[in-house]
Amino acid sequence: MTQRQGEAIVLRTWPFEEADLLVSLLTREQGRIKGVARHAMRSRRRFGGALEPMTYVRATYAEKPKQELVRLDAFEILWSPLAGPVDYSRTAALEFVAEVLEEVLPEQAPEDAIFRLAVTATEQMHVGHVWMPVTYFALWISRLMGWMPALGHCVACGLDLRGRSVFYSDVVDGVMCEDDRRNGSELLSAASVAEALRFLRSPLAELAEEEWPKKRAADLRHFAVTLLERHLERRIRSARALERA
Amino acid sequence: MTRLIDELRKLPGIGTKSAQRLAFHVLRSSADDAEKLASAIRELKAHLRLCSICNNITDVDPCSYCTNPVRDQRLVCVVEEPTNIATIEKTRSFAGVYHVLHGTLSPIGGVGPEQLRIANLLTRLPEMDEVILATSPTTEGEATARYLADEIRRTEPRVKITRIATGVPAGSDIEYADEITMSRALEGRRELLS
Repeated sequence: MTQRQGEAIVLRTWPFEEADLLVSLLTREQGRIKGVARHAMRSRRRFGGALEPMTYVRATYAEKPKQELVRLDAFEILWSPLAGPVDYSRTAALEFVAEVLEEVLPEQAPEDAIFRLAVTATEQMHVGHVWMPVTYFALWISRLMGWMPALGHCVACGLDLRGRSVFYSDVVDGVMCEDDRRNGSELLSAASVAEALRFLRSPLAELAEEEWPKKRAADLRHFAVTLLERHLERRIRSARALERA
Repeated sequence: MTRLIDELRKLPGIGTKSAQRLAFHVLRSSADDAEKLASAIRELKAHLRLCSICNNITDVDPCSYCTNPVRDQRLVCVVEEPTNIATIEKTRSFAGVYHVLHGTLSPIGGVGPEQLRIANLLTRLPEMDEVILATSPTTEGEATARYLADEIRRTEPRVKITRIATGVPAGSDIEYADEITMSRALEGRRELLS
C-alpha cells in the first residue's frame, strides 16, 4: 500500500455502499482519480465540509496495488467555495468547472497547467462576478486540450480574419469567413475575437479588475462552451444552468 | 431470494450485506408478517400523495401539519425533503408549519428552479410572517436558500426571512471541526445572557 499526500480539487461525490462516498478528485500529482471516503455520509468528523465540489484540499490517501479506487484518509481544506457567499450563478459556475474537468481529463493523467487553471478560475468566482472567470476557464481549457482553433484566418479559404467577425459551427473545426460559413453557423463578433486573444495572453487576476456583466462577451462564452461540447460530444448540463442564472 | 435481495439493494443506505440480512429476516419471519410488510408497501404507494399546501408526503390532503390549529401557520420552515421534517420535529421546539422543496438547485444534476416546488411557496407568502430557510449548508443548499430569499423578497417584501444557524454540532469536539465550520460558528456567535 502506498500512502500519498498532495493538493487536490474535489470534483464530485456519489453515495457508495451504505455510508460511504465515492469521490472524484483532480490531484496535482496524479491527475484525476477516484477514491472512497469511508463513513463520510454518516460522520463528518474526518472530512467535515471538505467534500463539497470544487473544494481545494490537501488530500491524504492510500493506493492499494491492483485496485482502481484509492482509500481517502483525510482532507485539509486549503480553499472552500463555502468560505464566501453562494448563489445560483456561482454554484453553476463552480459546477461547470467540475463537470468540464470530469469530462475532459482521462484518469491518472496529471496536467499541472490545468490544475493551476482550475484553482485560479474557481478562486475568482464570486457572487456577481462569475462571467469572466467562466469564459476564461472555458477558453483556456480548450487551448490546453489542443482544441482551440486559430481565430485569425478562415479554415475554408484561408482569408485573413484579423480584426473581423468570424463564424463557427459545431460541425466544422476552425472558424470561417462570411462567404464560407455553413448553415446554422453562429457569429463571433470582432470585439469578442479581440477579447479572446486578450484572454489567451493575460493572467486572470489582471482581467478580474474589470467589470464583467453577464452580457459582456456573451457570444465568446457561447463559442467556448460550443467548442467544448463539440469535442466532448455531449451537452454540458451546468453550462445550460449557467445561462439561465 | 436473489430477486428480493436485488430489490432491497435499490433502497438508499442498503448494500448487498444488509440486503441479504433483511431478505433472510423476511424468510425466517411468519407468512403473516411477510404479508403485512408487503401490504404496507402496496398501501404506501396506493394511498400516499403530496400535500397540496406544503408538498409533504401525506395520506390525507391537506396534511396534519397544515390543518393543525395549534401550529403557527404564519411561520413556515422550508426544507429540502420530507425526511427533514422528522428531524426538525424531534427537537420539539418548532411550532410552525413546513414547505418541502423536494430537492435543491443542482446545475450539474440538471435541477433548476422550475424542477423544485417553489411556485406554491410563493403563493403562500401573503399568509406568512416569517420563512425559515432550512436547506443544508452545502454549496447547493446555500444557493437554493439564496435563490429563495431573492424570490421571497421580490414577491412579498414584508415577510421576514431567516436562515438556520450553522456551526459546531452539539456534543462534538472543537478539535475535529474543519475551518469552514469553525469560521461559521465564530460568525454566528451570540451573547451569553445572564
